Amino acid sequence: MASVLPRTVQGPPVPLRWPPEDNRIPREIFTDPDLFRWEMDAVFTGPVWVLVGHEAEIPQPGDYKTLSVGAVPVIVVRGADGQVRVLVNACAHRGARVVEGPRGNVLKGGFRCIYHMWTYAPDGSLLGVSLPDDFPVEFRKEDYGLPRARVALYKGLIFASFHEQTPPLEEYLAELTQGMDRVLGDGRLRYLGSIKVIFRTNWKLYVENIYDGYHVTALHTGFQVVRLRSHGGQRLVPNYERNGHLWGQSRSTRREELQPVLRDMSLFDVRTKPTTDHNMMVVFPSGVVTDYFDTIQLRYVLPLAVDQTLIEFTFFARADDPEDVVRHRVRQGPAVLGPAGAITLEDAAALERVQQSSVARGDNVILKGTPKRFPPYRHVDEAPIRHFYQAYRRLIGVPVEEGTP
Amino acid sequence: MNNADDLSVREQAARELLARYVRVVDDPDRVEEWPDLFADQAEYRVVTRENLEAGLPISVVCDDTKDRIMDRVTVIREFWGAGGRLEDRHYNQVRPRHVVGPVWTEPQEDGTVRVVANFVVWGTPTTDPAPRLLALGEYRDVVEFTARGPRFRSKWVVLDTPVLQDVFVYPL
Ligand code: FES
Ligand SMILES: [Fe+2]
Repeated sequence: MASVLPRTVQGPPVPLRWPPEDNRIPREIFTDPDLFRWEMDAVFTGPVWVLVGHEAEIPQPGDYKTLSVGAVPVIVVRGADGQVRVLVNACAHRGARVVEGPRGNVLKGGFRCIYHMWTYAPDGSLLGVSLPDDFPVEFRKEDYGLPRARVALYKGLIFASFHEQTPPLEEYLAELTQGMDRVLGDGRLRYLGSIKVIFRTNWKLYVENIYDGYHVTALHTGFQVVRLRSHGGQRLVPNYERNGHLWGQSRSTRREELQPVLRDMSLFDVRTKPTTDHNMMVVFPSGVVTDYFDTIQLRYVLPLAVDQTLIEFTFFARADDPEDVVRHRVRQGPAVLGPAGAITLEDAAALERVQQSSVARGDNVILKGTPKRFPPYRHVDEAPIRHFYQAYRRLIGVPVEEGTP
Repeated sequence: MNNADDLSVREQAARELLARYVRVVDDPDRVEEWPDLFADQAEYRVVTRENLEAGLPISVVCDDTKDRIMDRVTVIREFWGAGGRLEDRHYNQVRPRHVVGPVWTEPQEDGTVRVVANFVVWGTPTTDPAPRLLALGEYRDVVEFTARGPRFRSKWVVLDTPVLQDVFVYPL
């Protein structure tokens, strides 16, 4: 596999046990540190587009933010030319992290590495080095830029890929673009801030949870308390033959019909959409895009260790929202879909428990909706999880046998 | 009572309110008492220093009215607490422990007292071998003197950590 980054591991750790049935997931994959290392290469720097931001987060020339693509620290930066680039956040000299802060603007001065004062332009090219006398004669600054990922944009969403054979973004996303059109409209957003939190769980357990429609009523008791239900909906798996994204659609009970258990029910308000239809999408492997109620949210899933995952919840308004709508979004977003949100905290508890018991070995089993082999699934099904793991297995080199979907 | 005495009485009362607050938020069985520590018009906000300093409006918790402060109890007990069935609770049992201090008080011209205090919250899970650092930062409070006694007009919990170390169930 061709990649712009050198690989450290050459294949999946052996032996990796995988049951023949595609609805059984071996628990070892949540606890094996060698596999984790391999995933960072084979999945995150493999032929995938990883969601790393929205243009609204870096609106001005020189604006940047940092995060990681799997294990690779990156800088997402808007150049002086207005173009968005994704650079590896490791100095080309002796590897020091070049940018420290989470966000900033680099237009004046460039990115300067503290170790030996090499300075990079916003586009990653090396501008200058300190005291270059006695360098080898063949040293050329052009050979020492910060490595760049490929970048593609859709409705302002920024995707990065470290693999040369990743298909064009729109082909990769397939029908998921239609869901993004619904959530992002013309793509002009205003960034409101983010909340980052550590979940004590493997990154795959976090992502598969979003494919899972079965847990929603069982675990998120708040929905039962206010009698909020899904009036129809479905779970699609765009491009399931290859990358297996999720597009969950649901229409929820209107606020006027809910049990007014809270004094302030604006948590469940839908003021900015004509209907109470929500979209919850996963861009395989690690991006989340949703428009739950009036909340426009992206999530970046950053694996830290085999049993620890950083989730960054980012919140947006539309660029031309009046101030009272912005205020409503600011009050609603984290109160529903954030680490202290009415319907998020339970996932953290459930996933931590799955993680802790994964050392018990054996298989996790996916049942609800599985008699059906292909999408669309019902909104309450957990069957879409199978497609997540099929996509995952293709990348780590343990593909599902031919003939089984 | 001269003016200086009155000032020190108010500062002392504000400190006592903070101590009472800590006793309540440390005890998962007393969360129902938490809203009464606030004035009728009050706010409770949890924000990261990162968002605050960047001027970004998103908070971790934005209970900007007394209604929302009271709703938090319902969310803890009913939404996450599965209607109070102890064995079905949808969060991990982690007992919080606040360590607060030093406490600075500053009486204001309008009769309120500004209170600033460092805090650390540890959580001790019932299942894990080790306690966890839940939160670290400073309180920035305004205490007012109501007919019911001293109450928080506003309580800002400013988190030093840009990355929350865990989800929070009980108020910080
Ligand atoms: S490591 Fe960056 S300049 Fe030497
Ligand atoms: Fe969930």
